[in-house]
Amino acid sequence: MNKTMLGVIDDTRYMESLYELTLHRSIAAIPFAGRYRLIDFVLSNMVNSGMQSIAIFPKYHYRSLMDHLGSGKNWDLSRKRDGLFFFPSSDLNIPAHHLGAFQHFEQHIDYFLRSKQKYALICNSYTVCNIDYEAVLKRHIDNQCDITEIRHQGRSLGMFVLETSLLLDLIANRIHTGYNSIIDVVHDHLHQLKICDYEHYGYVAVIDSIESYFRHSLELLNPTIWNQLFVKSRPIYTKVKDAPPTKYTENAVVKNSIVANGCMIEGHVENSIIFRAVKIEKGTVVKNSIIMQKSHIGEQCELNSVIVDKDVKVENGVKIVGSEQHPFVVRKGTVQGELMNQ
Amino acid sequence: MVKKRCVAMLLAGGQGSRLNSLTKQLAKPAVPFGGKYRIIDFTLSNCSNSGIDTVGILTQYQPLLLHSYIGIGSAWDLDRRNGGVTVLPPYSESSGVKWYEGTAHAIYQNMNYIEQYDPEYVLILSGDHIYKMNYAKMLDYHIAKNADVTISVIEVPWAEASRFGIMNTDKEMRIVEFEEKPSAPKNNLASMGIYIFNWSVLKEYLQIDNENPSSSHDFGKDVIPLLLKEKKRLMAYPFKGYWKDVGTVKSLWEANMDLLDPECELNLFDQSWKIYSVNPNQPPQYISPDAIVINSLVNEGCIIEGTIDHSVVFQGVYVQKGAIVRDCVIMPDVVIGENAYIERAIVPSELEIPPGIVIRPSAFDDEIFLVTQEWLQAQSSEIVEKG
Repeated sequence: MNKTMLGVIDDTRYMESLYELTLHRSIAAIPFAGRYRLIDFVLSNMVNSGMQSIAIFPKYHYRSLMDHLGSGKNWDLSRKRDGLFFFPSSDLNIPAHHLGAFQHFEQHIDYFLRSKQKYALICNSYTVCNIDYEAVLKRHIDNQCDITEIRHQGRSLGMFVLETSLLLDLIANRIHTGYNSIIDVVHDHLHQLKICDYEHYGYVAVIDSIESYFRHSLELLNPTIWNQLFVKSRPIYTKVKDAPPTKYTENAVVKNSIVANGCMIEGHVENSIIFRAVKIEKGTVVKNSIIMQKSHIGEQCELNSVIVDKDVKVENGVKIVGSEQHPFVVRKGTVQGELMNQ
Repeated sequence: MVKKRCVAMLLAGGQGSRLNSLTKQLAKPAVPFGGKYRIIDFTLSNCSNSGIDTVGILTQYQPLLLHSYIGIGSAWDLDRRNGGVTVLPPYSESSGVKWYEGTAHAIYQNMNYIEQYDPEYVLILSGDHIYKMNYAKMLDYHIAKNADVTISVIEVPWAEASRFGIMNTDKEMRIVEFEEKPSAPKNNLASMGIYIFNWSVLKEYLQIDNENPSSSHDFGKDVIPLLLKEKKRLMAYPFKGYWKDVGTVKSLWEANMDLLDPECELNLFDQSWKIYSVNPNQPPQYISPDAIVINSLVNEGCIIEGTIDHSVVFQGVYVQKGAIVRDCVIMPDVVIGENAYIERAIVPSELEIPPGIVIRPSAFDDEIFLVTQEWLQAQSSEIVEKG
């Protein structure tokens, strides 16, 4: 019996609440946990669950997402048969329905028609967890469900299992049924479909605002949460960068922090997430902050509750303070304190 | 086969017996170095960065891990449609199995590999050294000097010159004499074991050497002296920069410690000459609230709860609470138990250092202590006996 699943990652959503982090990238490409992007979690979960054909439906600013994914090699998805597919929306004016908008899928209907996989898994791109989809499929089949929705503590995780043939029907008949997305189907009770719930018990982070991004990022400093997300037997894959190990100098003071490779730490770092190839110079104190890839914090700075996006340069002696509810976001590629030092 | 101007042959079959237990299960080029690399990464990255895309890798001793590490060369961008990496282990032929008897014999046995690319030059490398070098510049030099053979040399302190193969040169840098470990050195230019040959010359002399029954089939001992005797044009190419043979436990430790020196010429952070390696794909490192990490290199996947001072720590290492690691090289997936104290030691991959154990240099003089599974077992049985 054919028990394989197609993976469908819907990255067509735009959220005003993530505005500053999505100026240059889609939600799927938001950097997370020191060396990953949000899409790495759903993609790795799919690969670790034995899925070999995965399609990504992006809509906005997908340059950095494409750069990140490349041929899919880092996820073992550069294959002769199946592999990774990238299906950007050819029509940006499609109204932003819910997740899993059938109109986006219809534009690339050939993918679904040509695929041999009996089942399909539709996921959003911004739910961070470590989950075994094979177990979900088994429950789906055993309970003879039509659609299984994965949930966590009463909240939908935006992940749905259904037969590919049912998905094709729903896409083809959307004008008649009035269901424009998978969410419409799940929320409606006027049909004959058997909708099941699947509870995921492990750690889950849904990134849908700057505040939740900040809170969930710093949550990773709790080893119990960290160990639920990073399981040795189910690794999270990402684009490799060939960065050297991180160097700590004699003045470095690092407490309760997650630090990626290729960093040069000369200052004081506490309760923070430091991405790859970040430089933090002498006399600088970074607390409760997230510093993204290749950013450079000069000497004698003070950063507290700040999200520093990629490629930022913070000049010497700059003080930036945000709060837990309203972390200060320094936008990608900017220079902070340029005028101050003139 | 598309013609290649220059083909590299990388000698990676060495045992490195002076590295003791580190090379019991793996060839010297596969020994971990610098917090995330293996020794061979430096030579392969140099090839890739120098634009040399055709590399034959000669293996012999304990090749399993080395072969799987090299794979198809993609980590170094050497998975190419034409050329790329080819692993060349010894093979059997109609006249029987022939092990590689010496460096020259290993190349002789693979002349067919080189021939299929019809190159003008052959670059001979060893996978035993830590350095960054642009081979393209050396090739330019070789061509400009109209040489038959060019040998890369480095200035060593006069006091140490008698430990190396020394090249005596004239004003023009032409090699007039080669002395292996001279007791009274006349020069301080040591051979780095990097040669560029005109392929026609190499082919001819490998044939001659192979037919000489008294030859040990070694480049340094046999082929180079013969070429000098025959008045071939051998030039010395002076290299400036960091270069280290990590052939002993002490020199391996020293080269790791060199990386911690801010003044060290070997810069791993230089974006223009990256050292590539097979990335282990582990999460970032976690530094706990009680940890102290100074003067160190720490790789991804580590959990640090204790103190790391002036050490090189590879991926996946777990240093538990109260443990102190000082002047050490800690290889991948090692666990350092609570309140253990380790100073001036190398801990090979996957060892578990029991809680509370003390490894201090005073007991081992100036030497670097290489921790082994056997030693750890002896310690635990001793504790049991005492208890």
